[in-house]
Amino acid sequence: MSDRRDDFLVLENVKTHFDLGRDFLTRKSKGVVKAVDGVSLTIKEGETLGLVGESGCGKSTLSRTIMQLIRPTSGKIWLEGKELSAISDRDIRDVRKNFQMIFQDPYASLNPRMTVLDTLSEAIRTRHPDSKGDDLLQRVSELLRTVGLNPAQMKRYPHEFSGGQRQRVAIARALAPEPKLIIADEPVSALDVSIQSQILNLLKRLKSEMGLTMIFVSHDLSVVRYISDRIAVMYLGRITELGNAETIVDDPLHIYTKALTSAIPVPDPRAEHARKRVILQGDQPSPIDPPSGCNFWPRSPVEHDAQMKETVPEFVEIATGHWVSNCRFCVEPTATSAS
Amino acid sequence: MALLEVEDLATHFHTREGTVRAVDGVSFSIDKGETLGIVGESGSGKSVTCYSLMRLIPEPPGRIERGVARFDGQDLLQMGKSDLRHIRGDRISMIFQDPMTSLNPYLRISTQLIEAQQTHRDIDNKAALFKAIEGLEEVGIPDASNRVKSYPHEFSGGMRQRVMIAMALINEPDLLIADEPTTALDVTVQAQILDIIKQRQERLGTAVILVTHDLGVVAGNCDKVNVMYAGQIVESGSAEQVFYEAKHAYTRSLQKTIPSLQEKGQELYTIPGLPPDLTKTINGCAFHPRCPFPKTGAAETGRPTLKDVGDGHCFADCGYCDSSGSIEDVLAKGDTDDIQLPGEGVEA
Ligand SMILES: Nc1ncnc2c1ncn2[C@@H]1O[C@H](COP(=O)(O)OP(=O)(O)OP(=O)(O)O)[C@@H](O)[C@H]1O
Ligand SMILES: Nc1ncnc2c1ncn2[C@@H]1O[C@H](COP(=O)(O)OP(=O)(O)OP(=O)(O)O)[C@@H](O)[C@H]1O
Ligand code: SF4
Ligand code: SF4
Ligand SMILES: [Mg+2]
Ligand SMILES: [Mg+2]
Repeated sequence: MSDRRDDFLVLENVKTHFDLGRDFLTRKSKGVVKAVDGVSLTIKEGETLGLVGESGCGKSTLSRTIMQLIRPTSGKIWLEGKELSAISDRDIRDVRKNFQMIFQDPYASLNPRMTVLDTLSEAIRTRHPDSKGDDLLQRVSELLRTVGLNPAQMKRYPHEFSGGQRQRVAIARALAPEPKLIIADEPVSALDVSIQSQILNLLKRLKSEMGLTMIFVSHDLSVVRYISDRIAVMYLGRITELGNAETIVDDPLHIYTKALTSAIPVPDPRAEHARKRVILQGDQPSPIDPPSGCNFWPRSPVEHDAQMKETVPEFVEIATGHWVSNCRFCVEPTATSAS
Repeated sequence: MALLEVEDLATHFHTREGTVRAVDGVSFSIDKGETLGIVGESGSGKSVTCYSLMRLIPEPPGRIERGVARFDGQDLLQMGKSDLRHIRGDRISMIFQDPMTSLNPYLRISTQLIEAQQTHRDIDNKAALFKAIEGLEEVGIPDASNRVKSYPHEFSGGMRQRVMIAMALINEPDLLIADEPTTALDVTVQAQILDIIKQRQERLGTAVILVTHDLGVVAGNCDKVNVMYAGQIVESGSAEQVFYEAKHAYTRSLQKTIPSLQEKGQELYTIPGLPPDLTKTINGCAFHPRCPFPKTGAAETGRPTLKDVGDGHCFADCGYCDSSGSIEDVLAKGDTDDIQLPGEGVEA
């Protein structure tokens, strides 16, 4: 185990559950949301891991757990050999400048009462406490240029920017403390394609120039494939498939991954109208008290008996570096070749 | 008669730094059952256009400067407050880019969905709750009858967006304005949601204005497309015209920027330069400083207007440049030295 902890970021059977408490009148438990339910991962320094999966599968919760914004219910997380889950709330602030998060929602994550200058200054000072005056202004301007914003707008408030512009402010703020790890939760989904490409090129450049390690959460698989070295596919709190970015998008094994890749819209009206998709039946089950066995059977194209439902599929390395939640109907090519 | 006819809409913001001409002379129309896509660069005025139609522009600093928006014969821009309240959320509803702007964080989803119905019609709590649960099921919220009692923060980002869609559809509006409705959603739910909207359209003839930056979504869902740049429409037409016969250099540049599934190794194409400062008067074509095509004449004053080039396909051509060649050829020639790169030419 100790050698695993030497890796840059290690997650060991991480679970994050939300206890919904008891009903005020009946005192009955309202259940537990198993948002993250046993995730183990190792991320190398300088690597970009893409995290994909349907809405509500736990991507944001996992991201927040790694950031220690939520403490895991069980399991352990090491960053550069330090066990994050053991650091006290008081000391975590100091460590947190090394890992920054870009949130899904740029509206909620920026303080509406602070100008861009104030927001970025504050973030810069977590790394350079003595920076002020011209030096500080210079750094702020530099950051704004890096993300493609006009430094002349640094005195503006968040509401004076468009959605995309605001997200770039949020990215600038994440870069300000010069972090080693960035967790980007849907960082480009609010941006139009041109700026999206700018940000992707930017993140890729930062990654190679600064050796930035990144976890990139997105539902857009074409974006994830472009930016990531490896991709982890999440379903209902667990990882169902993990492998090289190209392998996961171009040759997925699990039917769930196939459904995700075939749902990517293509910018061509005739092709869009003509194409067939792997559509999964039903919805992702509620994460409140999910059944103990396989969670995927309600979506499977095959009828399941009680015994099949109870079996938790094994997560196995099927080819070098390609892991899949291996179960006969979900990974058998014949059951899934619904073109 | 079109369901909604917008003519020369202009909405400006009067700020410390000057007047931001966020929307500056936009005209379009939409029929019953039709889907109109609005695409364009971030900050080009897509949301402000939608907010203006809903009369949700914060005033001040914003002001609708001019224009007409005839909805079923009535001008939305001149309508009194009480008439507006009557229409908004009932005959026209909007899905916002930011789910929390239309969900109250302190109220249960059930309360909000019931209120949305009772504001506009006589319906008792029980029937309204039933419809609320039905609505949540329609947008794919698992275990809807229990989760309807939740507060917005108890849902994931994508689920909140779905709740908002359920809220927007609950009164069966004639016009649905959807500002990036699926941006926060994963592709499978996105496909489902767009499908729900499509089914609604077929069943009830709902007209939809769909703002998105995803050209794939436009390709699969829109009958007509408006391409916006710096507060104006620079190209419009049927989806096929805009995708296969794009004329305007901005539209063509935009198409080139899409990260395709192939190009992993190389840098993604980005449009060089920055969008113009909307507080400054724009002379000639607003895209001109970033346009890769060779200039063959002098800049006009004033911005070029949309001209029909056949079958309702319109584009704004300044007429002083030669945009007939292919964009690849022009870029390959590398004759782009008057283009500003991001960060250049801007001073703190
Ligand atoms: N309250 C405001 N005060 C000043 N300027 C504003 C205000 N609201 C919007 N703007 C400006 O109006 C322009 C248009 O903004 P809008 O939100 O419509 O862009 P958009 O096309 O929806 O962009 P995005 O794709 O990023 O959402 C932007 O340049 C923005 O900075
Ligand atoms: N504070 C909370 N209390 C209770 N349940 C929560 C809480 N936060 C998240 N959840 C639940 O945990 C599950 C996972 O949510 P999460 O936000 O991690 O999903 P996600 O994968 O990021 O989805 P999306 O793509 O929609 O952003 C969801 O079912 C959500 O409702
Ligand atoms: S085949 Fe296996 S993994 Fe797939 S749904 Fe059935 S039990 Fe679950
Ligand atoms: S400069 Fe001319 S060719 Fe270029 S976008 Fe403008 S009108 Fe089109
Ligand atoms: Mg999320
Ligand atoms: Mg917008």
